[in-house]
Amino acid sequence: MNPQTKALPTANDRANTHKGSDSGLVARLAKRSIFRNTRRTLLTILLISCSLAAILFTDAFVRGMVNTMVKISTQTFLGEGQIHQKGFREANDIDLYIHDTTQLYQQLDEISEIEDYAPRVLSGAMTSSSENVASAIIYGVDAVKEAKVSKLKLAMTQGDYLSGVEGEIILGEQLADLLEVNLGDRLVVTVSEAHGGDLSQALFRISGLFSFNERSMDIGMAFINLSQGQTLLNIAGVHEVALRLQELNQADDKMLGFWHVLNTEQLETLSWQELVPQLSSMLAMTEYSTLIVSLIMYILVCLGLINTMFMSIFERQTEFGILLAIGTRSKQLFYQIMLEGLFIGLLSVAVGLFLAFVFCYWGSIVGIDYSELEMSGLTLNEPIYLIIDASSFALMGVATLAVTLISCIYPALHAARLQPSFAMRKTL
Amino acid sequence: MTMLVDAAAEVATINKVKNTVIETRHLCREFGQGDTLVKALTDANITIERGEFTAIIGPSGSGKSTLLQLIGGLDTPSSGDVFLDNKNISHMTGTELSDFRRDHIGFIFQAYNLIPVLSARENIEYIMLLQGISASERKKRVDMLMHAVGLEGLGDRRPAELSGGQQQRVAVARAMVSKPSIILADEPTANLDSKTGADLLDMMKDLNEQQNMTFVFSTHDPKIMERARRIIRLVDGCVVDDERRD
Repeated sequence: MNPQTKALPTANDRANTHKGSDSGLVARLAKRSIFRNTRRTLLTILLISCSLAAILFTDAFVRGMVNTMVKISTQTFLGEGQIHQKGFREANDIDLYIHDTTQLYQQLDEISEIEDYAPRVLSGAMTSSSENVASAIIYGVDAVKEAKVSKLKLAMTQGDYLSGVEGEIILGEQLADLLEVNLGDRLVVTVSEAHGGDLSQALFRISGLFSFNERSMDIGMAFINLSQGQTLLNIAGVHEVALRLQELNQADDKMLGFWHVLNTEQLETLSWQELVPQLSSMLAMTEYSTLIVSLIMYILVCLGLINTMFMSIFERQTEFGILLAIGTRSKQLFYQIMLEGLFIGLLSVAVGLFLAFVFCYWGSIVGIDYSELEMSGLTLNEPIYLIIDASSFALMGVATLAVTLISCIYPALHAARLQPSFAMRKTL
Repeated sequence: MTMLVDAAAEVATINKVKNTVIETRHLCREFGQGDTLVKALTDANITIERGEFTAIIGPSGSGKSTLLQLIGGLDTPSSGDVFLDNKNISHMTGTELSDFRRDHIGFIFQAYNLIPVLSARENIEYIMLLQGISASERKKRVDMLMHAVGLEGLGDRRPAELSGGQQQRVAVARAMVSKPSIILADEPTANLDSKTGADLLDMMKDLNEQQNMTFVFSTHDPKIMERARRIIRLVDGCVVDDERRD
């Protein structure tokens, strides 16, 4: 072999050298080109970053709203789960009550996931004052345990909470208005007894009024002590045990052992999602709406970016013609445009994540007041605190970058397919 | 004796083929179709040898730019072939053509057409980067060319910071840096004042003579026409005159 020939670089060597220097050159050109029209680039970055921030803000808001709604729904009265005798919920039959409460309470005391529980008896009742008559659901509750599970005690607006003394009753404010009664007034409650359905009546004196800020509850509920409720209904057990779990998300996790332990041949234990399926459906819909909002935002980002990139390409058409004329491959031009998109995307994602964090953090501290607004029968009586989710930030950041790159493919292909003579028509 | 004459003729033919850098055969370029058909170039047969300093002249719309674009591989002929360095470029793929232009052709444009985001030095260096030439070799060649075109000390300036004459000098340096066999120049002096244009022309003539590079101009400039060793005249897309001044 001729030694001189041996010393010459091979085609592969040359190709490898090309690759290294090409990528550096393409990156340099792309980097400088994006700030050629600074105002347009900044506006593009602003468009993308604001869209990203808006998507993340919406996501954090929806998470906060869902959390607030679930908390309101479960902590007000429902609990994160409830135990009933099988068939009670479907039939609303007061004869279907939990008989062996002692064993059940022992089990509940031993389950670590259950923070507190509140036994209840309940029945439809007719309440009669000296002025009026109204139907309501009468609940017999253990005053101490109920206070740990629901917000009944906190909802008291007038008078005193239940103290365990026989004959005391607390009413919703609107029910009291309907019955035209005040604190200390007498009220007769008539119910249908278990084991036969005989009517049972008892006289109560109104010891307190409550308001959950929820019309259906304030006009349709009255509370008496558990023991008197059991006597009134002629039952030895309870109809319902509301559960307060250590963590809200334990209600979703059906793999946890206590769900199996508490679902027996006699007992039915349901999470809040199963108790109020309309709320879970509404929350699922809310998540869909976030997805739709995100999609619309991304479509707008795509269109905006395609427009910007095309404007930039049309402005630089002659320049691309020159680059192609002097030996730049179409592929290199394609990479250059894609790199410009990548740089714009990276800057936009950085700015967008920063903006989103600032606004979401502010929303998570201050909260957004949506009181007086009723959604699906729920009144948001406490502010919505935004919830920042790191995985959403990461996912949306990557998605924005991907959308930016996808938007650049069409303009980049257009530039790469330019014929030099056409691109430079005004010159050579 | 007859054999000797035949052999001499054959050697002359071989030498001629070896020296031919540009050859067009029955080159045609049409735009549009039907009633809007425009014949920009019709049956152009041109042969240009290595080291020639050729001017293509003609009135506006005569096909000068079209001919240069076809020779430079910037456009595709409707029919006919273009041979550069004895290679038919008319049937090359896009990538092959890009690489061929990069390695064999230098372009000088009327409007300078430098890359605005690159400095003068980077504009000159660009093609060598595409060729994968080492950093030391690039620096050596750029320094040498900056000196040759009289732009020492201006390497870090962006095109917008240079005068028209300086920009065109950068364009000349860029066209020459890859040591191409052909330099195609489209009215290179049209945007320059007469003195700058004359200086630039002197410089290109010197480079042509010193480095035996082939220059093909399209021009209206009488100064280029005066100095050209060959003038090809186009009228309505047809070559009507081919004058050599050897």
